[in-house]
Amino acid sequence: MGLTDVLFGGRKRLKGAKLDKLFALSTAQVTLQAELGLKPAGVAAVVSKPLSAGEFARAEQEIDELLGVVAQTSGSEVRRRNDPYGYQWLVVRDRDFEDLVTGVHLVASELSNRGFGEQLLAALFAFEGREHPTYLIYGFKRGTFWPFVPTGEGQERDNPAELRLKTELEKELPIEPELERWLGLFDAPLD
Amino acid sequence: MKRKAYGRDFGLTSRMFLTIFLLGALYVGFFALLLQSGASIGVMVVVLGAFAFIQYFTSDKIALASSGAKVVTPEQAPDLHAMVDRLCAMSDLPKPRVAVIPTDVPNAFATGRSPKRSVVAVTEGLWRRLDPPEIEGVIAHELAHIANRDVAVMTFASFFSNVASLLIWFGGGLGRNREGPPIWLIALVVYFVSYFLILALSRYREFAADRGAALVTGAPENLMSALQKIASDITRIPQRDLRQMEGLNAFFIIPTNVKRSAATLFMTHPPLEKRLARLADIAQEMGKPVNL
Repeated sequence: MGLTDVLFGGRKRLKGAKLDKLFALSTAQVTLQAELGLKPAGVAAVVSKPLSAGEFARAEQEIDELLGVVAQTSGSEVRRRNDPYGYQWLVVRDRDFEDLVTGVHLVASELSNRGFGEQLLAALFAFEGREHPTYLIYGFKRGTFWPFVPTGEGQERDNPAELRLKTELEKELPIEPELERWLGLFDAPLD
Repeated sequence: MKRKAYGRDFGLTSRMFLTIFLLGALYVGFFALLLQSGASIGVMVVVLGAFAFIQYFTSDKIALASSGAKVVTPEQAPDLHAMVDRLCAMSDLPKPRVAVIPTDVPNAFATGRSPKRSVVAVTEGLWRRLDPPEIEGVIAHELAHIANRDVAVMTFASFFSNVASLLIWFGGGLGRNREGPPIWLIALVVYFVSYFLILALSRYREFAADRGAALVTGAPENLMSALQKIASDITRIPQRDLRQMEGLNAFFIIPTNVKRSAATLFMTHPPLEKRLARLADIAQEMGKPVNL
């Protein structure tokens, strides 16, 4: 990836997280917006698993440092949030979609570089302009995307809409082929 | 002719006979080879005969126990019973016992060695996710299996392949024939070939049951939409949250894509498209064409 080389030079990334497929989303943006009527909501997040107590103190400092780096390198705004599961959300805001994707990639890479690659769970991108808020989830383990359309009623999802998105996006994005892995991320703390 | 309700399809019948014939030919060849090798197989055949006997006479109990199905009374499931009553009356069958399987996956099965002793079972998911006419199509398909005596046919067909598989296990103790390949190798080959023939037979029985259901309900389109719903991708999308599932890592280890790459040769049921195409043909025959 040219862009990652420019941004991170020769720095080694830990195994366990696939990041480069994220940029496919920048390319797919035209289709998303023009053909599918999905407008980027200007917000995305990197979700990572809880750390053990021992790692926690180190992580606090590292992540503060990371947020500083991200703020300097990109124009995106990044905030830390927690959810009831104890997972950490680094919420990225940017009105320009390409910058948003780059911001998410930067956050994930920095986490990876600081030894938290194993903790990376997923990235979540929010879209609007349809009946329900629509999300694309990127799984770091397998480097694939899947659509997620919660209806807002409990843990209910609009599965037909998700399957339509699959066929519409398959050519542009690496869509997770095993539907059994299309797990949702309900009640994302994106605000 | 006493029972006409489930109709006939000569191409299908002839292919079924061909499959059975090939199975039989295979077994004859197998036993000829065994006799030639001078192995004492009498005891094992008796044991297997007993197994087949037990399987034949307890198939309903085995299937119910292994699926966790619970037999329900008309008071517990009045709508389901009414549907089975109606379909049995239309197809001139004695009413089987009715059971419900407590899972969310839409599915159904029928078992029992004779129409009088059979059970038809449906999952809660089938009842919840499908519309009544579609459920009727599925139950009619299961009743057609009962009418066609598929348990008896399949038990008979798999008996000899069980003989072969047992010989693979005990093949070492049987000694070798003086010339030619060892017994266990013959048994292995017989087992695999018969396995595929049984699967082929099973697929033909499925087509026959689809046809029966279409004729009895007079509405192939209902079974078609039921099959589509059951096979639909929607039932594969999980309802859980990613963060809930992270703890259960075993879930991610199973390579589910291996399952999908298996060819139709390995399947007991024909592919969905073929079943839909045949049902569309039947609809055409009945003078009510369906768009696929």
